[in-house]
Amino acid sequence: MVVLTRAAIAILALLLLCACDRLPETYPPPAQRQPQAPIPDPSVIMVEMSDPDSAQHIVKDIYEPFGSTWCWTAKQPTVKVLVYATDNVRLSSDFTIWSEGLQQTGPIELSFFVNGHLLDKVRYATAGYQHFEKAVPADWLSADTESTISVDVDKLYVSPQDGKKFGFILTRLGFLR
Amino acid sequence: MHAALTVLAILFGWLFTVATAWALGTLLLRRLSLVFYRWEEPLFAFLIGAALLSAIVFVLCAAHLAWKALFLVIGLVIICYALRSGAHRPRGDSFPPLPQRWRWVFLVIFSAFTVLYFINALEPESSPDGMAYHLGVVAKYQRTHGFPRITTDMYASLSEGIELLFLWAFEFGRHSAAALVHFAFFIALIFLILGYARRIGRPVVGIAAALFTYLSPVVGLDGTIAYIDVGITAVLFSLFYLLQIWDQDRNPQLLLPIGILAGFSYAVKYTAFIAVPYAIGFIVWKLWRARKPLLRPVLIVSMLALAFILPWMAKSWIEVANPFSPFANRVFPNPYVHISFEDTYRKFMRIYALTSYWQLPWQVTVRGDLTTGLVGPLFLLTPLALIALRFREGRQVLLAGLIFGLPYFTNVGTRFLIPAIPFISLSLALALSGFEWLLLILVIAHAISCWPNVVQLYCSPAGWRLIKVSPQAAFRIQPQEAYLKHDPAYVLAEMLEEFMPADAKVFVFTQPAAAYTSRQVLVGYEGAFNELLQDILWIPMFRDFQPTRILTFQFPQREVRKVRVVQTASVSEGQWSVSELRILANGQELPRDREWRLTAHPNPWDVQLAFDNSPVTRWRTWQPPAPGMYLEIDFARNQKLDSVIVESSGDATATKIKLEGLGDDGKWTTIAGAPNESVRPSRVSLRQAATAELKSRGIRYLLITDDNIGANDFHLYSKLWGMKSIAQRGTAQLYYIE
Repeated sequence: MVVLTRAAIAILALLLLCACDRLPETYPPPAQRQPQAPIPDPSVIMVEMSDPDSAQHIVKDIYEPFGSTWCWTAKQPTVKVLVYATDNVRLSSDFTIWSEGLQQTGPIELSFFVNGHLLDKVRYATAGYQHFEKAVPADWLSADTESTISVDVDKLYVSPQDGKKFGFILTRLGFLR
Repeated sequence: MHAALTVLAILFGWLFTVATAWALGTLLLRRLSLVFYRWEEPLFAFLIGAALLSAIVFVLCAAHLAWKALFLVIGLVIICYALRSGAHRPRGDSFPPLPQRWRWVFLVIFSAFTVLYFINALEPESSPDGMAYHLGVVAKYQRTHGFPRITTDMYASLSEGIELLFLWAFEFGRHSAAALVHFAFFIALIFLILGYARRIGRPVVGIAAALFTYLSPVVGLDGTIAYIDVGITAVLFSLFYLLQIWDQDRNPQLLLPIGILAGFSYAVKYTAFIAVPYAIGFIVWKLWRARKPLLRPVLIVSMLALAFILPWMAKSWIEVANPFSPFANRVFPNPYVHISFEDTYRKFMRIYALTSYWQLPWQVTVRGDLTTGLVGPLFLLTPLALIALRFREGRQVLLAGLIFGLPYFTNVGTRFLIPAIPFISLSLALALSGFEWLLLILVIAHAISCWPNVVQLYCSPAGWRLIKVSPQAAFRIQPQEAYLKHDPAYVLAEMLEEFMPADAKVFVFTQPAAAYTSRQVLVGYEGAFNELLQDILWIPMFRDFQPTRILTFQFPQREVRKVRVVQTASVSEGQWSVSELRILANGQELPRDREWRLTAHPNPWDVQLAFDNSPVTRWRTWQPPAPGMYLEIDFARNQKLDSVIVESSGDATATKIKLEGLGDDGKWTTIAGAPNESVRPSRVSLRQAATAELKSRGIRYLLITDDNIGANDFHLYSKLWGMKSIAQRGTAQLYYIE
């Protein structure tokens, strides 16, 4: 019995001991990583709606939830990106025109703007997936400040249920280089 | 021929394990001169022997002596010795025979489901957790003949009492032999329920309760795969059963198996620790009411329980510096499991995909998708079980069910209800025992409603259940590879086996079937090191994680021996992180001197990540920021400085910091309050820097599936990552970092 009691006390003491917090360890500075040759990040100039951080680039008129594969837009969906260089940059967008919306609005016209400059106007009379891509003049862009890209929709679909207005379904909008 | 040999090996591994456990248990029970009913003895012998055999395997693994030949010799010696001692000769009285009608009901229903269950257990193991870790760790122990030190897989730190029995069977019959060992626990549980009811003179209640439990879809599936929930339920029920016998007989020798089973409960599953206070509380209460001495019985049970508990605590303590790993990381801070992981894990386990706890009754009984499994619609009648409170036995059964069901609230998966199911079944049958015809109708209705083809009529299509069994696969007429080739986790494992060298490590976001690969797999969430790798890989993709938030402390030049950046905000979610901490004097950054000593609180182990000049690594708190957390440099001498730059990320904007210095007077004083904040957008790809970090940590392979975060980025920009795809299977790509 005495042996058992002593064993119990020893075990309990051990358990208590292992609950003690240790002091933080200290370390010397590690080997220093050398900066690698800078390679432009191609994903920085294209805003994918599926990017978890796409909200950081969205300025206005793109409906939540951000981070999903596609988002509904309102009148003038606008995003901002910082270009690494201004030459050979093309505006690119993938989007879908909704068939039901088209029935209500008729053909719609999209105007593509870069930093307020009208790049192009395109009329869409058929529903479905669309791709737009066009070169952007270098002098419209700056490598120091973020550029805004917007797409203006001339006619919006108005939901009969709640009166909410919709433009088109956006998958990606940004630049390619 | 090959198929027949494989099946024979499986059956041998299973029966050899069960026989060794039974022999060990019988030897102990007979040595203690404990006499039970003839029906009971082999069941208790198996359960107690399983605890002893598991302890033997633990010792062998700790000594790296877990060799097949040694298992064979030890097992044969134990079995032969037991047979020589007459262990195979039954002892004890027989129960009175079962009522004729009920015996047939039991035989017919039990046999039908047993055929189904046996085939399922014999099939190549394809259960998610079985393939991932219950047998994943077993396969590692088998390869290394013992416990290798595993610090990157939190599942390997859990207690593994039944997994060690799986190891014994696995050596001979691989995965299916292990699943069959679990099935043996299942059968033992059902016969124990029946035995208990016969002991209290209620055989009809026993048959009904045994079938209620046996046919329940989640119990039926769990008990026939390499899981442990039904195994722990058998251990807990036998503990309850022995305590009831002890209450009748007060035979002090019974305290030994009681102590063993109480300790083995913890050794099988952490959440079953509740068995120890239950057993001790039961004994104390009964002895106190009888005015009998308490100390000796309590000490015997406690010491024996500890003998089975402490080895597991010691293993975790030695391997990952936390006896309760992967839990209690706040009490035992360690570099192997992050507190943030523990918090997230606990939070998820408490709610799963439920939006309200009111969904639980319907989910766990009928639908089975949000809580992974269903117990069957019969258990909607559980409130009726309270009627059993009018019987003494009913009160005992309900109390045990309540206690063993308590851990359910830490994990609301249906599986975690299994330990309470036999007790609910018994009390429900007891409550309705006055209406035998009603019990019969319920048993038949339950049998019909739990047959797989019927279950699918009412459960959710995604409900976790036994869908169908394949005798061709079970008896290996269809080869194992052909049967498993449609399982995504198996396909991943096969890919690793085929395209990676034997000693290579692979980082994955999605768990492959670790039980089917010998490659070292680092799963993103399974350890602190893995989470660090995951963070490194995500930083190039998510600008919020990049060091774009620049916090600058500027102050008149001063001389300090130590400097530290201290957190002053309390933020309930998120983390504080520092990518780089730079010290400047006269506008020039001080080169980082090898004499400097760096530390941090919390997570001192990663402090160097804030001083490595890498934009893709960062020191993180890995727990919500709180005032007093710090990052510190000891210059080892007085150092002049006039500014400190903290490069942080955009995902920690709620944090606030100040700068403190330690002067000659040995006192910490505030050098500067709030820093100037600016944003420095990152324009360059950090991908190659990230893979270089992985390479420097010995990781050359990445396995990515389409549903992984960033899968598209790895695919589109694999050149920028500095890696190439070397294999593809379905939606999975295996990349090699060049």
